[in-house]
Amino acid sequence: MGRRIAIVEDEAAIRANYAEALARQGYEVSAHADRPSALAAFRARLPDLAIIDIGLGDEPEGGFTLCGELRAMSVRLPILFLTARDSDFDIVSGLRLGADDYLTKDVSLTHLLARIAALFRRVDALAGAGVASQEEQFERGPLALDAMRLAASWRGQPVALTLTEFWIVHTLARVPGHVKSRDQLMHDARLVDDGTITSHVKRIRRKFATIDPSFDAIESVYGMGYRWKH
Amino acid sequence: MRLRPGLRLQLALLSLLLLALPWVGYRYVQEMEAFLLDGQRQALVATARAVATALHDRPQLMAARPHTGRSTLEAERSLLPGEELLDAPPPRPLARESEAGGERVAEVEAILRGLERTTSRIWVINRDLRVLALAGRLGTAADPAAGGAVPWWRRAWLALLGRILSPPGEIVDAGLDTATLASGREVYEALLGAAGSRVRREGNGGALIVSAAHPIWSGDRVLGAVVVEESTDSILSLRNQALERLLALTLAGCVVAAAVVLGFASRLSSRIRRLRDEAENAIDARGRITALVTGSAARDEIGDLSRSFSALLDRIARHHAYLENLASRLSHELRTPVAVVRSSLENLHAETLPEGARTYMERAEAGLARLSRILSRMSEATRLEQALATTESERFDLRGVVEECVAGYRLAYPGRAFDLRLPGYPVWVRGAPDLAAQMLDKLVDNAAGFADADTPIRIELAFQTTSATLAVSNAGPPLPPHFDERPFESLAGARPRTNSGEPHLGLGLYVARLIAAFHGGTLRIANLAGGEGVRASVELRLA
Repeated sequence: MGRRIAIVEDEAAIRANYAEALARQGYEVSAHADRPSALAAFRARLPDLAIIDIGLGDEPEGGFTLCGELRAMSVRLPILFLTARDSDFDIVSGLRLGADDYLTKDVSLTHLLARIAALFRRVDALAGAGVASQEEQFERGPLALDAMRLAASWRGQPVALTLTEFWIVHTLARVPGHVKSRDQLMHDARLVDDGTITSHVKRIRRKFATIDPSFDAIESVYGMGYRWKH
Repeated sequence: MRLRPGLRLQLALLSLLLLALPWVGYRYVQEMEAFLLDGQRQALVATARAVATALHDRPQLMAARPHTGRSTLEAERSLLPGEELLDAPPPRPLARESEAGGERVAEVEAILRGLERTTSRIWVINRDLRVLALAGRLGTAADPAAGGAVPWWRRAWLALLGRILSPPGEIVDAGLDTATLASGREVYEALLGAAGSRVRREGNGGALIVSAAHPIWSGDRVLGAVVVEESTDSILSLRNQALERLLALTLAGCVVAAAVVLGFASRLSSRIRRLRDEAENAIDARGRITALVTGSAARDEIGDLSRSFSALLDRIARHHAYLENLASRLSHELRTPVAVVRSSLENLHAETLPEGARTYMERAEAGLARLSRILSRMSEATRLEQALATTESERFDLRGVVEECVAGYRLAYPGRAFDLRLPGYPVWVRGAPDLAAQMLDKLVDNAAGFADADTPIRIELAFQTTSATLAVSNAGPPLPPHFDERPFESLAGARPRTNSGEPHLGLGLYVARLIAAFHGGTLRIANLAGGEGVRASVELRLA
């Protein structure tokens, strides 16, 4: 049985393109053009994953509202924001509403599919359906990463990272001491815009710092990128 | 230096026109004086006529008068025009007549005594210009300034007046100066039978004397004349008083008017200056409108100007905000169609395509990638501005950041040499290290874009007493002329970019400028001496 993905997007061409691409991957896709119809459909049956645009028709913040409503229906349901907006403010608001990730619309389909796959793997891992392989998990000092569950923990405490943030930490921590350039991080985190790497790193540091105020494992190497301290 | 007369000076010069007022007043007083003098003459003529009337047809009164023993010259002088002195007049039997004459003279003088006044002198003369009787004297009014302690300001005032006005003049009581009398035109006229009057000056620079003469008739013969003299002292002192008051009043008026004009001009120019300062401060060095001129509520033209200026700035600010948001809005708006194209192309990949179509697909994808980069560059400045608003300043060592950055550039630009010059000590500044690194990225990126091949890019960090200068210079084409005047213009079309790999919108320098401003510094771009290259320098305050 294919997994059900809901796309809520007011731009017909994008909606159709994504729907087709996802269908080609074997997903079952339901596409909605506006918030009320999407909400009605979700009430009838929850999808396994939702991809939501922020501006929906004549509701410029409709996606945020929908995300809140969806999160109220299901805590576990993976939600992806896919939007043309890329300001830090929008990203932060989106993530605060409980979205699992935030992507701008120029993300490539390959990246989008990889993210969707990762999110489903996490759902499976959390449900205990999948078998967690050893390679997917590793520890670096106080940091523990589980690539299957997309979960990170610091000194035993879980850190709520988004997909993008998780991939950045994953890339950095896999080879400690090795400088990763913004381009590399961008590629590994499946981002398209290196301008946002800085703000992502900033947010990651802040998240770790709320658990451990002395957190300084991510080092800026000016002119090159970032590295995970030994 | 060019002279720039301010508004105040101009109005002060204009108020000099007020000085015409005392002159006009002076002319008026002069007219009045002439008028009064004429009146006095008329009055004297009337007096003379009245006296003469009392003496008409009384030849016995006029007959004799003791001869005072004048010379024959006196006789010659007394000749009327047209008369001739054929031979010396024989001695007259005056002695005989003198006793009887003395009585007559006393009678004349009795008549005259009734007419005596302090300020006028009345003579009765006969045809021989002999004085038959004389009454009164030219009196002098007491000089107000002559006695008593006079305060210094009053003395100074009088001294000033003395320079402007002619003083009343000393009255010399010339006594029986018949020579003066005889030279008078009015006396001749009277002896010829016509009343006359004259204004003469007593002595040299003495008082002005008005004299009038009227003939004394006996039948149709002129027996003699009555001459009435009066000094114009009272008129003169009246005139001087009037002038003094006029001068004082107009001076006071001028001072008040000048003060008012000056105050008005000061207010006017201060309002204009305030408007100018506000207008200058409204737009900062980056061309952003930081503060709007608050439209003045005044209903005059300056208030009007200030209001329209405020409205103008408001419109510019709105237009500016529109332009500033344009890049990010444009990139936002373009993202959706780009996403349509991208997802369509990617879906197309899944289809089996003829071999020839692959090339076009690749080209379309390359173009799309470039378009995406441009879009993200366009929103970078906006994103940075948002980031700057939330970034906290910290104290960091700029030298360390520059050193690390340059190590990175050596990896990132393998074909390019970097000439790094650092000071021997840490350079502490306040700001955000990653932003400083981003600024240096932009400057180096810009320098590398325009540098001639195989020339090093020089990065210098130097510090002065209170500031540090970070400079990036490269050999290459110089800046277009007047670059300083339009620092916000994109460099894209201004200089040929030698190593074009990236879309270049001139936004990099804009970003660098934003970060420099965040660090309390300024970005300056100038040609190197000799025009062999360009140097971008940022001056930062030391922390």
